[in-house]
Amino acid sequence: MPLPPSDEGIQNIDRLIHEPSRLIIMMHLYVVQSADFQFLQHQTEMTPGNLSSHLRKLEDAGYIEVTKDFVDRTPHTALKLTKKGREAFKQYRRDVKRFIDKLPE
Amino acid sequence: MTKQNTLREVEKKAYMSYHQDGLLDIFIGLYAIAFGLGIVADKVLDFSFGIIMPGILIAIVLPIWLQAKRKITMPRIGYVNFGTRGSNKLFALLLGLSVAGLGVFFLFTMATFQDGRPEWIETILFQYGMIWIGLGAAVIGSLFAYTMGLKRLHGYGLLTLALFISGYFLSVPFEYLLLVIGSVIIASGTVLLVQFTRRYPLQKGAIAIASQ
Repeated sequence: MPLPPSDEGIQNIDRLIHEPSRLIIMMHLYVVQSADFQFLQHQTEMTPGNLSSHLRKLEDAGYIEVTKDFVDRTPHTALKLTKKGREAFKQYRRDVKRFIDKLPE
Repeated sequence: MTKQNTLREVEKKAYMSYHQDGLLDIFIGLYAIAFGLGIVADKVLDFSFGIIMPGILIAIVLPIWLQAKRKITMPRIGYVNFGTRGSNKLFALLLGLSVAGLGVFFLFTMATFQDGRPEWIETILFQYGMIWIGLGAAVIGSLFAYTMGLKRLHGYGLLTLALFISGYFLSVPFEYLLLVIGSVIIASGTVLLVQFTRRYPLQKGAIAIASQ
């Protein structure tokens, strides 16, 4: 069903980011340069399975980059927003703000 | 899931969780105690430990602090790189303090070695020396508290000011005040460390999960 003209702006909103859990992940990665899975899990208070599943979706969309290396001889996974992800998040903020600003009081 | 209002709050939460481990406090306290003991050693052994102690301590304490961060904090809450924004502010503060420190040292040297210096300079500098040091600690504590977003550093600065003013009026030697301040800060840091380790217990397999 087509949206009424006043709702057109909502169609532009990135639905991948708009999902609350992924939005929180994006917010946490947006304010740091990189973080590992454990840090993100503490900050977002998600279960490992839930977090992994959302991270995979964001990675598939090219919004986050997962790099694996060794710290003190233990495997370490660092997560960071890609340039595309950072731009997508900025655009998402603009779109949401524009849409909300249009809403009547 | 906790609701976050703004990105700034998210950033602050991330930063604070990383610095609520009390390690910084413990090492500031150790630094104060070691500096105080150095001055005591000056008097007992007649050797200028007090002058060389700050440099020695930086060289010893800094690597230990970094290792403690890696061994205690990171395994519990994970690893995060905050980027250069925070460290740039801290670097600017350290640079500013170094320049200010050099300025104070220059003025102090001028006032000390200048022949026929006005008596009021001597009075202000030496008679109220303890109060100046306390004020300096309060200002430096506040600057670091503001830059790092760690409010408890305000408290340490104010504690130092209060103790040095009290010490001035009660004629308590400088080095003993340092020992008291260091002990209080270590106690505060230890409480924070215990709270931190309880809040974030070591999780076996955390690394394995992260590497999946």
